[in-house]
Amino acid sequence: MKILVAEDDRVSLRILEKNIGDWGYDIVVAGNGDQALRKIGDGNVRLAILDWMMPGMNGLEICKHIRQNNGSNYIYIILLTSRDRSQDILEGLEAGADDYMTKPVNFLELRARLKTGWRIVELEDKLLESNRKLKDLASRDSLTSLWNRANIMKFLEENMERCKREKQPVSTIMVDIDEFKRTNDTCGHFAGDIVLIQVAKRLERCLRKYDKIGRYGGDEMLIVLPGCGLKEAGDIAERLRLVVDGEKVNTPAGGLDISITLGCSSSAGFSRPTPETLVQASDAALYRGKKQGKNCVVTG
Amino acid sequence: MNKAKKPHGTSSPIDMEDALARIGGDEDFLRELLELYVEDFTSRFSLLDKAVRGGDLKTVAEIGHTIKGSSANLSLPFLQEQAFELEKAGKTGDLSKARTGLAALGTEFRKLKVYMATRAD
Repeated sequence: MKILVAEDDRVSLRILEKNIGDWGYDIVVAGNGDQALRKIGDGNVRLAILDWMMPGMNGLEICKHIRQNNGSNYIYIILLTSRDRSQDILEGLEAGADDYMTKPVNFLELRARLKTGWRIVELEDKLLESNRKLKDLASRDSLTSLWNRANIMKFLEENMERCKREKQPVSTIMVDIDEFKRTNDTCGHFAGDIVLIQVAKRLERCLRKYDKIGRYGGDEMLIVLPGCGLKEAGDIAERLRLVVDGEKVNTPAGGLDISITLGCSSSAGFSRPTPETLVQASDAALYRGKKQGKNCVVTG
Repeated sequence: MNKAKKPHGTSSPIDMEDALARIGGDEDFLRELLELYVEDFTSRFSLLDKAVRGGDLKTVAEIGHTIKGSSANLSLPFLQEQAFELEKAGKTGDLSKARTGLAALGTEFRKLKVYMATRAD
């Protein structure tokens, strides 16, 4: 996080640069308005001290520009002015400045004001971070930490639209844990939960980074494979089947042999595919797999 | 508007105490800043001279304003005052006042250079 100081007078800029640097802040400088805009565009600037009078874009205009092109992070702005008429102060604050100081700058005062600005920027960051966490929490299944049904369906919908434009197929795999009800009944729900978590982990680890998996229902998981045809989806599904079948799942009830059945379908098989029809087709394939004796992959 | 603060009982072009307070008492840094000031002043002064000759009072006001600010930063009260006179002359469109202001600004600048040369010895 950096402080930008934009000031066309070199003497004033040097004094500001030295003092602010001595106070321990990371600082970038600009000698005119256009330079200032470029430095802001580079990102990382969270607090800007802008001189009102500058050649090119002046402080007031930069201020308006920052507020109109508001990026993801709030930039706290202090305007420097040799004017102290209340009309000018009002104009500055209306343009989006958070604070103003008259020149020559009183450095004790500037230091205190920077502290205030910094505190606000940090508060804003904390707020954004907790918003992000909350959003993430709301989009995930609390047991497996996989995406929840609404989120995986949204991902499917978005990717079907994108892939349609790019003339690419999208495939889905519906996964179901075999004999899950019996595991719950004989080993207890706690062991059942662990099975679910462990299977989810193994599957997730096995996917490409642009593929996504979500918990669809009780022990059903939906995998979305953008840009992937039916044959490739079948190969991926077989790999997933083996990763679960190949190793016991450790639970408090002991190591359990767990298997999964997977049903695959691809948008290429439909004239007008929708997320629902694609998921239904995967579900039907899964059902056929269950009938065929489980622990297998069915495509189509 | 900030009034030019004159150093007590002396005609020194710079209010040393005031200037040093602004930069944490660092005399070497003050010297560096004064050199920067002189460099900038010299180029601004020639632009100012051209503007006065050409009767470009808008530019006179602008440069006067800039020199005023720069001088205030280094606690150069006489230069600040003369620069302000020029800014006012530019704003009110008073060309003859701009001419005398320019000469007075030049005189104050020479005093600063003499002062700096003496201090350097």
